[in-house]
Order: sequence, then C-alpha cells, then structure tokens
Amino acid sequence: MASGLLATRGLLTLLNYQQACRSVLVTQTRHKKRWMRAYVKIMEAKLKLEGPPPPKRRSEKPNWDYHAEVEAFSARLQENFQLERLKTAFVNPCYVRVEQERRGALGLEPEVAALTLKDNGALHTRGEAFVQDFLSDWCRASFPSLPAKGTAALVNHLKGPEVVCHVARNLGVEDLTMSAEFPVPDEVLYGTFCAVVAALEESSGPQRAGLFLRDFLTAQLIGKDLFDMWSVVNPMGLLVEECTHRGLPLPKPRLLRAAGASTVLPLYFVGLYCDKKLLAEGPGETLLAAEEEAARAALRKLYGYMENRQPLDFSPVSPQTSQSTNQALSSG
Amino acid sequence: MTGRGTPSRFLQSVLQNGVGRYVCQLKRISLIFSKNAQSSLGARNFIEEGVVDFAKKNPGTVVYISPEPCRIPRIVAEYLNGTVKEEAITSKTSQQISELVTKLTDQSGLDIIRIRKPYHTDSPSIQGQWHPFTNRPPAAGVIRPPSDETSA
Repeated sequence: MASGLLATRGLLTLLNYQQACRSVLVTQTRHKKRWMRAYVKIMEAKLKLEGPPPPKRRSEKPNWDYHAEVEAFSARLQENFQLERLKTAFVNPCYVRVEQERRGALGLEPEVAALTLKDNGALHTRGEAFVQDFLSDWCRASFPSLPAKGTAALVNHLKGPEVVCHVARNLGVEDLTMSAEFPVPDEVLYGTFCAVVAALEESSGPQRAGLFLRDFLTAQLIGKDLFDMWSVVNPMGLLVEECTHRGLPLPKPRLLRAAGASTVLPLYFVGLYCDKKLLAEGPGETLLAAEEEAARAALRKLYGYMENRQPLDFSPVSPQTSQSTNQALSSG
Repeated sequence: MTGRGTPSRFLQSVLQNGVGRYVCQLKRISLIFSKNAQSSLGARNFIEEGVVDFAKKNPGTVVYISPEPCRIPRIVAEYLNGTVKEEAITSKTSQQISELVTKLTDQSGLDIIRIRKPYHTDSPSIQGQWHPFTNRPPAAGVIRPPSDETSA
C-alpha cells in the first residue's frame, strides 16, 4: 500500500518536472548566443557575394504620407499648386502601365480594381513647350546682343536633361515621382519636372510659372562661361561675321607680347584691333591659339557676356529681367 | 590630423539656394520615441508642447511622429539633396530637443566637414590668371613694329 502510494507520488512529480521543463524551454534562455557569430558571418559573406540590396523607393520605407508630402512640396517652393493637378503631374504613363499589368497579374478583374489615375502625358508636352518659350524669351531679354544661335545654345543647355534633372533631384521631385523603375530614370524625371511646371502654370498662371523657372532653372547659369554652353569651332570666323553684321571694320590680329618663344612654355599675347582700337586681347601657347582666345574674348564683349557683367536680376518683384544697360560696346 | 588629411569642401549651397528664393532644405523629420520609456520623457514633452508649433511654422517640412518601443528615442531628418541625418535624443529635455530641431531645420544637408574658407567665388581672381607679364612694366616683352627691329 505504502509502496503503491510512493510510486504514484513519484510518477506525479516526474510529470510535474516534465511540465516544468517544457515551460522553461518555451520561455527564453539566458546565455551567450553562440549561434550569433556564425549567423553574422554568413550574412557578411552574403553581402559580399550579392552586393548591397537595391535602393528602395522612399514610399516603401516607413513614415510616408503622400498627401502631406505633396502639400509640403507645394509649400516649400512657396507656390500655390492645385493639389489634384500636382498629383496628376507626378503620375507617369510608365507607372500606370506597370500598375495595370501588376493588377492583371494578381488576377483582379479590370472593373473591380479599375485604376482611376490620370497620367501626366498632356502636362508633360505642355510644360516642355512652356519651358522652351519662357527660356528663349528670358535669354533674349537678358542678353539682347546675343545672336539667335547663342540664345538657342543657352536655352538648350538650360532645358537639357542634365540641368533639369539636377534641379529636379534637389527639389525633392524624385521622391514624389511615380515611375515604373527605381531609381527614377532621367527621361522620366525630366518629364515629371515639365509636368510640374505645367501644373503650376495651370494653377497660378504663366507669370508665377515663369518666376519659378527663373528662380530655379536660370539660376544654374551662374558661374558658367558662354562658350562652355555654346561650342563655337571657329570663333574668328564668327567674329568677322559679327563685325560685318554690325558694320564694323574687320578685326586685325596683332602680336602684342611674346615670351619664351624658344622654350617648351612659350606665351603669346594677341590683340584684335578694330578701327585702330583694341577690341580684345588673349593669351595662348601658339599664335593661333592666342588669336582664337582673343576672338573669344572679343565675342564675349560684343555679346555682353563678360565675366564682369552685371549680375542677373533675381529680385522677387519684377517678372522679366532687362539688362539692356549692361551691354559692352553698345556705344562703339 | 593635419588640415590636408581631413576631408574638406568649399562653401556652397544646394542649387544656388537663396539667389532666386529661399527653400527650406529640410523636407521630412521623423520623431521616433517610446510611449513609456524614461529616456523618451523629453521627447514626449516636446510632442505635447512644441511639435505642432514647429509644423505650423514650417509648412514645407513633413513631420512624422512614430511611437514604438525603443530605448533610444531619435530624430531622423531628411534633406532635399538626399542626406539623411539621425540624432539620438536620449534624456534630452523638451527645450534641448526644440533647439536641435531648429538647428536641423536651418542646415542645408551638405556634409558637415571642414570648410576651406569662409567665403567662395567662382572667379577667384580679379586681375586674371598669372602670366609672365603680370606686374611687369608695360614695355616688357612688347613686340615692336618691323621698322623698329630693322633699324635696331
């Protein structure tokens, strides 16, 4: 009897012990995690083999409220966008196409999950035309002596994808752009920027849109040389053409100074004389290079694009700049 | 380290900011804090007192408040040029956090490294690049007319 009692008690304690063990196993164990080192090593090896993970869109990371972001975009640029228009401007056709394909692949019927997004195709074409018009007007007003070819070169530089994408990236357009690929390709970003300009023009009128372009796009002209943007192969020919056009006598090149002609570092100064007056002078390692440099200097003077010209007008009140007072040789 | 060894840059601004109009470069700020940790006390006070005023004063900045269990509350600031800055605000008072947020708002997002000079210009020289005739009398190196040369 007693032995039977003992046996049952022993069985019970064993059962209890097992239960206790199970509960301990379920909760945490506290000791040095020896698997951690191996895991970290594997992860490091994987990173080395596969490279860093592809960049993620900002909208896929935590803390993203699209509406608030679009509102902040508008407020940041101190513009009054119509938010619906602005949101449309950010939707690219490639995004709509890919999104529809994705929904189709998920097996959703088109009428159940219809995509009611308008893409920015129309805004893009409109914005591009507006940018072109505004920039050519602005360049003609700011540099009245510049010929049509030079103005076109300036405009092409300013509305080129390089400058526009740089501006768009630094204005936070990239985060808001809805595009099929990520990182956003340059063409898509360019189209989005044009669409944003068109949206601004529709929201606040062409004057505000012009001011927007003047403040952000034409400010990129600061510190740029004319011939960085306008590649002139034969500046002397252009200068002769310009002089005949203005009725000036032909420029005559004269060697002004020379040093070290027999060394590896010769230096020549060539001056261009027009009507016995010094038009410009330029240095060079050979006579031809010096003459070309002098011609470029003379062209800069004639076109009013010297380094020491009056700064461009970015004052907030006047919409259009006029720099007619700052023209070199306007009298002579 | 000597001056040449440390990374440095010139004084610059993003997109010539301020030439046309000023754009606040802070585009997004997230405040990550814990609802009950002691170290987040100042962050919680700042959310009660200052964060709405800050958001009203800076409409161009999106403010996110995200409570999540964490020991180290932090501020993540994102700038227009893509820089992301993270600042821990452990045991900071509401006043200190407010000052930190103001500082983050005023920054441009460019690297905080040694700036070579406190001024910068695209055309550093007024008189132009040095050449052998700089600061020489006008007669030096002058090419004379051929008649002079033949007589000399």
